[in-house]
Amino acid sequence: MLSIEHLYFSYQGQPPYVLNDLNLHIHSGDYISIVGDNGSGKSTLLRLILGFLTPVKGSIKLHSNNIRYVSQKNDFSHAGFPITVTEILDSYRKLLKLKDKNEVNRVLELTHMTEFKDRLISKLSGGQAQRVSIARALIGSPDLIILDEPSTGIDRKSQEGIYTLLRDLNQKHHITIISVEHNLEMAIANSTNIYHISNGHGHLCSPEQYACEIMHNTGRNPVDHENCSCFTDVTTQAQAQAQAQAQAQAQADDTTTEEVRNV
Amino acid sequence: MFSYDFMQNAFFVAICISLLCPCIGIFMVLRRSSMIGDTMSHASLAGITLGLLTSTNPILGAFIFTAICGALIEFLRKYFSHHLDLILTIILSLSIGTAITLISSGKLKANANVFFFGSILTVNAADMISIAVLTILSVLTLYFLYNSLLYIAYDEEAARVAGVKVDFINYIFAILMAAAVSISIKIVGVLVLSAMIALPVASALQLEKGFRTTLLCSIGFSLLAMIIGLFGSYYLNVAPGGFVSLTSVGILLVVLVIKNIRAVIRRMQFSK
Repeated sequence: MLSIEHLYFSYQGQPPYVLNDLNLHIHSGDYISIVGDNGSGKSTLLRLILGFLTPVKGSIKLHSNNIRYVSQKNDFSHAGFPITVTEILDSYRKLLKLKDKNEVNRVLELTHMTEFKDRLISKLSGGQAQRVSIARALIGSPDLIILDEPSTGIDRKSQEGIYTLLRDLNQKHHITIISVEHNLEMAIANSTNIYHISNGHGHLCSPEQYACEIMHNTGRNPVDHENCSCFTDVTTQAQAQAQAQAQAQAQADDTTTEEVRNV
Repeated sequence: MFSYDFMQNAFFVAICISLLCPCIGIFMVLRRSSMIGDTMSHASLAGITLGLLTSTNPILGAFIFTAICGALIEFLRKYFSHHLDLILTIILSLSIGTAITLISSGKLKANANVFFFGSILTVNAADMISIAVLTILSVLTLYFLYNSLLYIAYDEEAARVAGVKVDFINYIFAILMAAAVSISIKIVGVLVLSAMIALPVASALQLEKGFRTTLLCSIGFSLLAMIIGLFGSYYLNVAPGGFVSLTSVGILLVVLVIKNIRAVIRRMQFSK
């Protein structure tokens, strides 16, 4: 479905890179959560996959054109926009040049939003508005849905509903899902794999491995860490690499200063 | 009143303005860029003066110059992506600078003052043809780009993923804005033209309806403001620009008052 190989990216187009030699292969039917600290490059990676940004080096190959995106700025942030749920969905259907008018009803049923179809988006709760965003993403039966923090600003009960919906779409309708996540609990509970980004490096873990890592890092690991090690080595390696780069830079600066003094 | 040719012409133009300005205005308001309308209406003054300098149709001059300014705004967004206000200042400086230089040079072959406040006396046959052609072309373009423009305003990234050529359509929209400004300057005038772009939409937004209904109501409010404005201008012998603008503000106030009265009645019914 998606192959990322030796991906390097920085906004300046030169080192230091925000994303450093990333490799990721996502197969059809996967549910991948991308996790990491703020500023680690999760959303940047999404924007690269969507083609909004261009890699400095490396390649991103998408094996489907039928992809959808649910942005972090969900439909709840469109308070004041005079548009009904049906208008949002029907307009997107027309944008995708789909002739079947029943498509809107189909996605409304899938997301359990049929009773709200004539409601203004500004009159919906955060969870309902997020369901509308997902309903919109389902128009035209996509192969892949990419989401950026789907549970931001939503209460816990609604969050559970959203993740149950995403899991159903993945397992029953075989839609591949890539989701940037801050909600680690939901990421562990729902994903087939977790892609952890730290210091520009990424590593793919199983949810069990990732849970084990979290427990280890917080000093609560009940099992032998050797059996579940997933990204600690990568993090250590990245830190060592960052230190080496900093030392090299410092040495270069010293040399330059020495040269200036000599002149 | 309608026995006069100039009034017939003025009403024909008023209908064109009422149709086109809210159609453009609703997208501008929802993209939080209604001040672009104000900048472009001021920019049109430079186009008018260039038209008067070269003895060509000032409406055509305004359209071409304003379209260039609109394209320039889109181009400058790449360099000042978070500073729309700064871009508008740059465009205002360019256009008003051009207009003042040309007017003060004394080389214009006609008086440009009539374009400041608008006039119901000055719409001639050539203007009507230009305005009719621009309105028809713009409405057709809007019809075909309706869903794309709606989604660019609603969720630009989702529109991009759906394959909408957002940058290209933004340039087309800049030309549509130029058309709306150009057809309005003779009647409404440069100074208050943004009232016709933003105020009918502001009134319609208070009704809290869906997009299509809001758009239709904007056109209705715009038509009402133009008709009352032209009648007022004729009987009070004042410039139509100012009176149309005041009428638009009046309609907004009436809508707000009715909305509040309805809310109070609803609360009273609920408390019973």
